[in-house]
Amino acid sequence: MNITVIAWRNIWRNKRRTLITTASIFFGVIFAAVMSSMQEGSYSKMIDNVVKFYSGYLQIHQEDYWENKTINNTFVLTDTLLQKVHQSKEIIGISPRLESFALASSDQLTKGAVVIGIDPERENKITNTEKWIVRGRYIHHGDKGVIMGNELAGYLHLDVGDTLVLLGMGYHGVNAAGKYSITGIFKNPLPQFNKSFVYMDLNLAQDLYSAPNRITSLVLMVKDHYHMPPAKKALKSFIRSPYRLMSWDEMEPELVQMIASDRMGGKFMKAILYIVIAFGILGTVIMMFSERKRELGVMVSIGMQKTLLAGILFMETFYIGLLGVTTGILATIPITTWFYHHPIRIAGEAAKAFLDMGIEPVFAFSLMPPVFYNQALTVFILIIIITIYPVVKTFRLDISNALRT
Amino acid sequence: MLIQVSWRNIWRSRTRSLVVLTAITLGIMAGVFSTAFMKGMMDKRVETAIHTELSHIQIHDSLFRKTAELRYYMPGADVLARKIDTLPHVEGVTQRIIVQSMISSAETGAGVKIMGIRPDDEKKVTDIAQQMVEGKYFEGIKRNPVVIGQKLAHKLNVRVRSKVVITLQDMDNNLTAGAFRVAGIYKTSNTAYDESNVFVRYEDLARLTDLPAGACHEIAIRVDNDLNTVSVQQRIKKTTGSLEVMSWKEISPELSYITVVMDQYMYIFILIILLALLFGIINTMLMVILERHKEIGMLLAIGMSRTRIFLMIIIETVLLSLTGGITGIILGTLISKYFEYHYINLSMFGKGLEQLGFSSLVNTSIDPEMVVSVTIMVIFTGIIAAIYPALKAIKYDPAEALRIE
Repeated sequence: MNITVIAWRNIWRNKRRTLITTASIFFGVIFAAVMSSMQEGSYSKMIDNVVKFYSGYLQIHQEDYWENKTINNTFVLTDTLLQKVHQSKEIIGISPRLESFALASSDQLTKGAVVIGIDPERENKITNTEKWIVRGRYIHHGDKGVIMGNELAGYLHLDVGDTLVLLGMGYHGVNAAGKYSITGIFKNPLPQFNKSFVYMDLNLAQDLYSAPNRITSLVLMVKDHYHMPPAKKALKSFIRSPYRLMSWDEMEPELVQMIASDRMGGKFMKAILYIVIAFGILGTVIMMFSERKRELGVMVSIGMQKTLLAGILFMETFYIGLLGVTTGILATIPITTWFYHHPIRIAGEAAKAFLDMGIEPVFAFSLMPPVFYNQALTVFILIIIITIYPVVKTFRLDISNALRT
Repeated sequence: MLIQVSWRNIWRSRTRSLVVLTAITLGIMAGVFSTAFMKGMMDKRVETAIHTELSHIQIHDSLFRKTAELRYYMPGADVLARKIDTLPHVEGVTQRIIVQSMISSAETGAGVKIMGIRPDDEKKVTDIAQQMVEGKYFEGIKRNPVVIGQKLAHKLNVRVRSKVVITLQDMDNNLTAGAFRVAGIYKTSNTAYDESNVFVRYEDLARLTDLPAGACHEIAIRVDNDLNTVSVQQRIKKTTGSLEVMSWKEISPELSYITVVMDQYMYIFILIILLALLFGIINTMLMVILERHKEIGMLLAIGMSRTRIFLMIIIETVLLSLTGGITGIILGTLISKYFEYHYINLSMFGKGLEQLGFSSLVNTSIDPEMVVSVTIMVIFTGIIAAIYPALKAIKYDPAEALRIE
């Protein structure tokens, strides 16, 4: 006796009821999957925006630098360190930086700014800064000019070709002062970078801060945030005192928590949805059982084993779940794929609210497998829990009462 | 009479009804709680923004906000401020000198907004004085005291009594600096604010910037109740000529926008839960009329109009949905009422939430309007779910129905 075939036929005995139950699972799976896709896509974008433009996936500093971000906690980039870094094959790019603070001034105005000395070519490979240039041009190795964020330039009333004055504190307390021509102006999706960043050639920065050959950080890039943990593991053993290796989640704990809290909120919503759907399935299963009580009583009384019967009932519930999940995922795939290639751009007041929080106003979608198979997993677990009802009732079936229904 | 009959009909199949009722109760309970939770978070954010950051009304020279230049001050502001203080509903008025510049410690520097204020006036407008975590609000340091946010204190690596230097451009565009000592450190639930806002005494900053007496850049006003903001604003506008008088909603429209959006978002969530419940209710009612095929046939045969049968089914469904819905609302309200007085502690996401300006201690907030909306939505769900089964019921042919054994 083939229980799979029998179970399949059984669920179609009442077509309408099965279809409605399947429809509820279908709807739940689509909603949960699209929501997960949107969430994961948005998180990846948020991480990318910060990591790809600023922090990198990993950074090496002088061991005291992170707690005390002063120009005095810089280090010299040695060949031995570079060699150690290249030990890990996951590292696809590196970029040295000298980052510090300065007062940026034009004729009338002054504002605090973050000055970052970079190797223009290597930095561009990692952060793609060149593509954010809106006026003027990107800097090259040896350039004596700087590029700055559009909001900072706007505040100071400066444009390409104007002079920017920078004042700060250099290595070992020496005064840092310099005048620079503005080579280009950039506009990144995240306003916090546009409001305070000034980039210049590394040598120029080292000159300004009287810190020859010294850097504050070595930025390391990997393919994406899923590739970061193995790279970190490989490097952790080589990078020791007086250096320190940090990953983006250690450097940006706020971002990590923002994502974690949103994820948790999403889990709560999906949980409620699935619980409601589960009750719907339970209702159907109860109905299916009670209307066949006599039939089940007959089968048991002529000798069918209760375990086999329970198995059939389980398969029936399983099939309904399978139908709902399969159709739901199949329907979700075209939707998420479309939005993956055409992310939803937010405009107007909403966009401003996002930017205010430091998030790019766009809804990106993810096509990572967990988005889809997590739904299947959840439904499967629910099915197993729900099956407890018919299985228990089967084993407790009082044949004489059942036959008299 | 129809209602009594419908109610009794629901309980004819206890288990089945209980399953649907539990589903509705859980779903609505979760929906009500989530809405109250989000509302609580948003309300607190707005309250914090108004009482700590923006105040209810701000007055500036019409060009100040766009250019942020020192020279766009309001002459004779103190006269205006004292006049405004006498207006009804005004709880406090403060005058501020505002400079965007740099604060530096021995370790490093940062770009901040420096506000020169009079502590006694400021205390009546903002609540920063009550959020000190170290030191005092302008007490304890005689010369050039400064009050900074905790995040900034960490960044600069300073404590109470530490020395910092504030560098800025004065009225003649000369770069000048002053040494200040940290009198106190504050912490609000918005770390982005803490990082960039610094307070010094009005006299000290006026001296450094060379601002004429009685002038300032910003007048901030606290109103006793947000509902009076607009009327106070109108009254002020009549006497201020060309000055810009703005309410917090005009200064930060994103803030009120987020509240509105969250509300809509939550209604959509409840709609989705109701949609998931719809399937379960339809299935249940289909089963109900199928069971009662003979009965309905008999009723039709003895002359009950089809309209009444239709109504009977609808009322039964609506009663079922309402019972679950109201139980859910009551339970959800009870839970939310509890958390209105006891905090939900989200400090594991503290850093992330506070970066966005949300406190990690959440109180829920129930809106009677929301309860009414949810009830109406539940009733509509019941009606929509009933349509298909009711239509089937009235199509029963009484002669045929009575013939079934």
